[in-house]
Amino acid sequence: MLQVKNLYKSFDDLRVLNGVEFKVEKGEVVAVLGPSGSGKTTLLRCISFLEKADRGDMIFDEFSYDMTKVTSRQIRDMRLQMGFVFQSFNLFRNMPAWKNVTEGLVTARHMPKDEARDIAMEMLRKVGMEDRAEYFPDQLSGGQQQRVAIARAIAANPRVIMFDEPTSALDPELTGEVLDVMKKLADEGTTMVVVTHEMGFAREAANRIVFMEGGVVVEEGKASEFFNNPKEERTRQFLRRILGGGA
Amino acid sequence: MTERVAQILISSFTKILIPGIKVTIPLTILSFALSLVLALFLALFQTANVPVLKQISQIYVWIFRGTPLLVQLFIIFFGLPSLGIMLDAFPSAVIAFGMNLAAYNAEVIRASILAVPRGQTEAALLIGLSYPQLMARVVIPQAFPIAFPSLFNNLISLVKDTSLASSITVVELFTTAQQIAARTYEPFALYCEAAVIYLIFCTALTWIQGAVEKRLVFEHKETSGSRRAIVG
Repeated sequence: MLQVKNLYKSFDDLRVLNGVEFKVEKGEVVAVLGPSGSGKTTLLRCISFLEKADRGDMIFDEFSYDMTKVTSRQIRDMRLQMGFVFQSFNLFRNMPAWKNVTEGLVTARHMPKDEARDIAMEMLRKVGMEDRAEYFPDQLSGGQQQRVAIARAIAANPRVIMFDEPTSALDPELTGEVLDVMKKLADEGTTMVVVTHEMGFAREAANRIVFMEGGVVVEEGKASEFFNNPKEERTRQFLRRILGGGA
Repeated sequence: MTERVAQILISSFTKILIPGIKVTIPLTILSFALSLVLALFLALFQTANVPVLKQISQIYVWIFRGTPLLVQLFIIFFGLPSLGIMLDAFPSAVIAFGMNLAAYNAEVIRASILAVPRGQTEAALLIGLSYPQLMARVVIPQAFPIAFPSLFNNLISLVKDTSLASSITVVELFTTAQQIAARTYEPFALYCEAAVIYLIFCTALTWIQGAVEKRLVFEHKETSGSRRAIVG
């Protein structure tokens, strides 16, 4: 459903993506793992065109694009089919929770306000935030803000939702409430790409793991195989370090 | 203070206050409104990724911030007629003050736009908003409370700067004080009286600023007192 081929991206002299191959099938939850600086976040940002790739092809929704030549119109159309959840939430601080959710529906998709409001309340219920609908972001905890951000990302029923380290800015307790919401989405068959350091989540909720390092995909496979029987030495090292001696 | 001076001060108070209310205040409000509209465009030009617009805006700020206000006032009122552009004193003053202050307000608004976290711009793009939509719906509403104290500061400066309009024949607060001072030979008393009236205007503005700033907070009013939301 979403596929990226031969993706390259440098910032000045620093090559961050060095020929990445990546794909997600419909209904699949893909966890992207890897050490800091391996290019995981840049991969998501290139897919959503927040960064312009130096080279690369993309297939999305059966259309294929040269990622260096897409028009701003094409980018906008593709974004209408994508959801994105940031590490730092990035809620609109001038709007209460429910308006954060309706904004994309009303302003970008021209949905009538009443209908959008109903959808927003339904989405907030899904993430357990319906009783905080009138609160502004500054009045919510980090975990609550991230749940509202997830409601915003799923509101337009996108084909794929990308999560960029969604719990890295949260303490362990708040991390749990956000991961619970994400697991629920995964169980409902939502197509998700999750860049994360949460190995527990990756193991339980992901169908497939993509392990990146140095701007390339080092190993990928089914979650169970990846954790129990990693093929590459580099992957084994990474898992040993992150999961402790037992792995 | 002699009884004569006291008499003059009392009888001249309303004579100075009335042109203050009828001329100084409208001059201030119109000039400030003009400066805000210009400044918003100048600031948007600078933050948009269009090189030509950015340069136009930078040159504007460079010129209007780098030359004296009094000189700008004289160019518009005394200078432009030689190019065939004749303006009355009051509109000349509005244009000069408005264009001059726009340069300063543009910098205030630009800095405030840049102070809105960039992540929200990205979030807005990703839910499908266009650049003008995200500026209007997300960035400007948040830049406004940031800009407000500095903009108001410039407004208070402007109230006093309008006294320069006396030099191009606008009969405002200060001109009237000058006229009475010339007639009565009491410059010290009259100019002090004019200063007091400016001070009253500015004090009133300071109160308004305080009252408005309190309301420029994005929060759910019924819950904001207790801050329970943060804990719960």
